[in-house]
Amino acid sequence: MNILSFRETEIILSKYKIPFCRTEIFNSKDKAFLFAQKIGFPVALKVHGQKVFHKSEIGGVKVNIKEDDFDDAWEEIMKNVEGKIIEGILVQEMFYGNEVAIGMNRDDQFGPTIMFGLGGIFIEILKDVSLRVAPINKNEALEMIKEIKGFKILDGARGNKKANINSLVDILVNVSNLSLKEEQIKSIDFNPVIVNESKALVADFRIII
Amino acid sequence: MKNIFNPNSIALIGASEEKNTVGLGISQNLLKSDKKVFFINPNRKSVLGIDCYNKINDVEESIDLAIIAVPAKVVKNVVLDCVSKKVKGVIIISGGFREIGNQKEEEEIRDILRENDIKMIGPNCLGIISEDINASFSYTTPQRGPVAFLSQSGAIINSVIDRIGFSKIVSYGNEADLELVDFLEYLDKDKETKVIAVYLEGIKDGRRFMDVARKIKKPIVLIKAGRSQIGSVAAGTHTGTLAGNYDVFVSAMRQVGVIVVDSIEELIDSSKALAYLPKLKDGIGIITNGGGLGVLAADYCFQYGIDLPHLNKETLTKLKELKGVSNKINPLDIIGDAMPQRYQIAMEALLSQKNIGGLIVISAPQTMTDHNGNAKIVIEMRKKYPSKPIVCCFHSGDLKDVPNYSDVLRAVRSIKKLYE
Repeated sequence: MNILSFRETEIILSKYKIPFCRTEIFNSKDKAFLFAQKIGFPVALKVHGQKVFHKSEIGGVKVNIKEDDFDDAWEEIMKNVEGKIIEGILVQEMFYGNEVAIGMNRDDQFGPTIMFGLGGIFIEILKDVSLRVAPINKNEALEMIKEIKGFKILDGARGNKKANINSLVDILVNVSNLSLKEEQIKSIDFNPVIVNESKALVADFRIII
Repeated sequence: MKNIFNPNSIALIGASEEKNTVGLGISQNLLKSDKKVFFINPNRKSVLGIDCYNKINDVEESIDLAIIAVPAKVVKNVVLDCVSKKVKGVIIISGGFREIGNQKEEEEIRDILRENDIKMIGPNCLGIISEDINASFSYTTPQRGPVAFLSQSGAIINSVIDRIGFSKIVSYGNEADLELVDFLEYLDKDKETKVIAVYLEGIKDGRRFMDVARKIKKPIVLIKAGRSQIGSVAAGTHTGTLAGNYDVFVSAMRQVGVIVVDSIEELIDSSKALAYLPKLKDGIGIITNGGGLGVLAADYCFQYGIDLPHLNKETLTKLKELKGVSNKINPLDIIGDAMPQRYQIAMEALLSQKNIGGLIVISAPQTMTDHNGNAKIVIEMRKKYPSKPIVCCFHSGDLKDVPNYSDVLRAVRSIKKLYE
């Protein structure tokens, strides 16, 4: 069981038209800094490696990094992951909105199943998720989104702007297509996917092969 | 499969009159039918007064269905006899195969039968009950009715057998040859069957089940055991199937229109409603002679997302005839002293309102209540408004085919199923 490399992840996401936050991988701090400047601060830094399954827990993720803090953040992540085999460190644009989670798993009896839920504690503690066996069409994807108890949060509760639900529908349908065609992929974990009133972008990806 | 469900001649291999044996149970049940029944047992001269044959091949007449209830180690030889006798179908009651890890022999037996084009149910099952035969060791023979029941457990069959009328009951065991999906397809075309109820612990091939279930036109109501970790370990030792992830299972079933229920009671309750009543459109009306029960029913409707439409002007005009009833809302409390006439006025008024698609009618035991009189009105109204389902909560009274539940929660849950 390995995490798919960033390069291959990039190819797969593009092939199935799954939009993700602008991201590049680096082993050199100077080149990383130049890229961060290009996409604009603040940025996120995340370690990526075949066997790095719990990158937050080991201190391999830092978000909202301003230009002045870039050096320290880089060095700290490097120190935290010392001794681990890594592909590099991802430099990623920050994108703000509601956090949701989208996943795919292969069930022993039903094959690929697609999961949708709100990100963070909603998924871990409240288990507020919906499931479907792939393939799913746009209507079924929309049902999945509306089915979770936390849907009101996306639908503009308490004066929030309504999230762009259609863009989430597209990601769900594309993940479903991917799951049927790319049988070497065992599971997919996009958590969080960030959605605001204009679009949805995958901010964190873990594809297991 | 017709030869299994409607055989003209049946042979029971392993017939017995020894007390507390499977062989005796099946023998007794078979004799209740007027089909030609032959008993096979080399160790006995006769069973229940009927002569026994040594081997099935000794029977001169042709045999449609052979039921095998002998120890596992001799099943294969008996099956070979059945092949040479050219039987058309086989039920293997005997256990001792895949469920205890003896997969090899089960597959050998299946292959022998398949090569000879003989369909097989089991092994490791209670048998089947059809319109005119009881080829099982169930403790009693059920009333005939519109519900077909497919069960991976024989004990569950026995526990529901007297609760409703059945068209067919199949204990499908290890599914070595005929599988759950084959029975679904068969029952979808069966004229006696209106609803298919299923008890299962695990499915062999989830995707295939979905493909078949999607095409079945009759409602399928299903209960699955082995949802918890402990339960799924128990299922593994019971039928040798993998119980799987319950959340995924429920989602998959919902995708193909199968109704998943939580209890055996709900399985029977919903089957009854789906078998005897039309689909429900729009909201429902509640009529009660006890205020509290009406309030509870209204609460449950809210909980299950069932709309209780406001009574419109026309309906309220019709309800003016209700003397002594002041509060005319839905749920409609026609008060403890309601006699059949009040039920008639109330039901007629509510059923004729366009956006009321069905009724829950409650007849609680008050001192003066005439349950039988009320039941007559309900039956009349079912005839007059055939497209509007009615379920009841009657203390007593002969409601014929109108589903009656002892608790308003059961009534609400059952009418809810008519939307699906």
